[in-house]
Amino acid sequence: MEELTNKETVEEVKDTEVPLDKSVKLMSPTRMVVRRFFRSKLSILGLIMVIGLFVFSFAGPLVYTRWGEIELDESGKTEYSVTETTYTVNGEEYTLRQTTEKTLKDNFLAPPSAEHILGTDNEGYDIFVRLMYGGRISLIVSFIAVFLITLLGVIMGGISGFFGGAIDNIIMRICDILICLPGVPILLIISTILDASEIDAKYRIYLLMIYLTFISWPGTARLVRGQILSLREQEYMVAAEAMGYSTPRKIFKHLVPNVMPQLIVQMSLSLGSMILYEATLSYLNLGVKAPYAAWGTMINIISTNQDILQNHLNVWVPAGICIVIAVLGFNFIGDGLRDALDPKARR
Amino acid sequence: MFKYILKRLVMSVFILLGVSMIIYFLIRLMPVDFIQDKINAINQGGATVSEETVNAMYEMYGLGDNSFLGILKGYFSWLGALATFDLGTSFVYGIPVADVIFEHMGISFAIALIATVFEFLIAIPLGITAATHQYSFRDYLVTVLVMIGISLPSFFFGQMLKDVLALKLGWFPASGLVNATASFTGIELLLDYVRHMFIPILTIVILSIGARMRMTRTNMLEVMNSDYIRTARAKGLSEKVVINKHAFRNTLIPLVTSLAGLLPSLFSGAIITEQVFDLPGIGNIALDAMNRGDIPFIMGYNMFLALLSVIGVLLADLMYGIVDPRVKLE
Repeated sequence: MEELTNKETVEEVKDTEVPLDKSVKLMSPTRMVVRRFFRSKLSILGLIMVIGLFVFSFAGPLVYTRWGEIELDESGKTEYSVTETTYTVNGEEYTLRQTTEKTLKDNFLAPPSAEHILGTDNEGYDIFVRLMYGGRISLIVSFIAVFLITLLGVIMGGISGFFGGAIDNIIMRICDILICLPGVPILLIISTILDASEIDAKYRIYLLMIYLTFISWPGTARLVRGQILSLREQEYMVAAEAMGYSTPRKIFKHLVPNVMPQLIVQMSLSLGSMILYEATLSYLNLGVKAPYAAWGTMINIISTNQDILQNHLNVWVPAGICIVIAVLGFNFIGDGLRDALDPKARR
Repeated sequence: MFKYILKRLVMSVFILLGVSMIIYFLIRLMPVDFIQDKINAINQGGATVSEETVNAMYEMYGLGDNSFLGILKGYFSWLGALATFDLGTSFVYGIPVADVIFEHMGISFAIALIATVFEFLIAIPLGITAATHQYSFRDYLVTVLVMIGISLPSFFFGQMLKDVLALKLGWFPASGLVNATASFTGIELLLDYVRHMFIPILTIVILSIGARMRMTRTNMLEVMNSDYIRTARAKGLSEKVVINKHAFRNTLIPLVTSLAGLLPSLFSGAIITEQVFDLPGIGNIALDAMNRGDIPFIMGYNMFLALLSVIGVLLADLMYGIVDPRVKLE
């Protein structure tokens, strides 16, 4: 979007009269959008939530260095177990109470304390610190995925909408096929393929997200194509034609910027859904794998361990809350942007 | 109209061919090897399996050749069988894939259908109040609540409900579909089903209300700003009549259209929810099949889903033309 500023210098004003463009405050479309965005309390709330999570995940580990992502608390833990046996000797009952003291190497499932703000998980990792590292993964991965989806979608949709004809037909049929691929089942299949290829646990989630990009771009491509189909009939495109501009310039400098409003909204909303996707994959133990942390991975344990599900809420609830905050934040921002960018909205 | 449908149907066949090819190649690349697992099981039993038997087994299941041409051959034999409406026999269950799908589809369908009915019953009134009271406290409250619903990960929320309602309060059973220890009949059996399905359905409804409510709200707002609503008000009609008769009916257009798009989700099963509550629905079965390398079943299930979404898209387009006469299909 080009900024329309009141830069045109006013020719010397001889009268004492104030020139019109100084007495009337002109506002650029961008500033109007920003103002409308910040007028909504929900968008501000969303922005705060997202920025807060970013600071927490990226600056957090630099400030709070007590524990690392895969640093076990080996301070040890003593477990007591009591067994009672009842004997009956000569009609009298004796109870033998046996207490076993077991010292374990790792301090796992520790309750929240000054040492561990949110306690430790079933392995002995500090939960608070792992929340930060998990946030890094979720945020980075979803940003990469959304960026790639948009890039691919804009290129394919742009080409498709601008040229039409056979190219359009081919690209759109590819879109049809990709849209019909069942998402989650195929992700499961790809994930098992990755398991066998012995890829470092740290990088597999990136490969999964690249696949997710591969099946998700048709949505963006269709959006861009639809917009371009209507935009290319506009007068300014005829003007661009008359000026003899090159095709890439026409597409990417004149058409794509006009699709930007819708694109921005879609990007912020899909950031939320990518975070959900990543978390679901990690929950199914297909995304980020132990010992590395991801929010979904941290919740995964409760699907097999009923004790933690019921009695150690500090292990899994914080990760879930983080996911909700992230997704909600992006949804609020997306919603706010949609309202702010809508030229019909007047408020 | 007829020509349009025919054209779309022909196109759908090609789309499904493309989809099936991609899925088949991906599945064949999967390292989970059903035969190997089977042989391991036999070996553990004490018997040894000779090399020839192993090879014969691979041949029998059509998995002998894992080169590109071998997979291609496997794909075409699968396609050939499909032409006679044969999806093959499930490795794990030993019965035709179609039978496995239909057997477990019922429960998924029941859950999805009930959840969808509740979703519409709750979401539409919420969307309408939010729209008629735009920017009021009520609008904000409803919007924030349903947005939280959209943002909840299904596994997290499902487990939370399970923890609180089933394990802590003990109001509902935590998992499964029927009480295994009691043998109920008639009305009691039905009540038992209801008790078991309550939390899964609650989970799905809360997660899905948001999208529907926001859709209703947006459409309602658009309609409320149109000229004929102003005319209706100018005529002196009561606000109730304006909203319920004039505005709401036109809000229904996109809602009805979206109904057709729901078709896939009605039958496909909710993988995560079924996994959390250990329900024997189609999604959970598919997850299990995926882990065990049941190639015919995974193939059949995925094609079933693809077919549903192709039909769903087609129906949605047709519905759009039927409900809104201004739309011309060509």
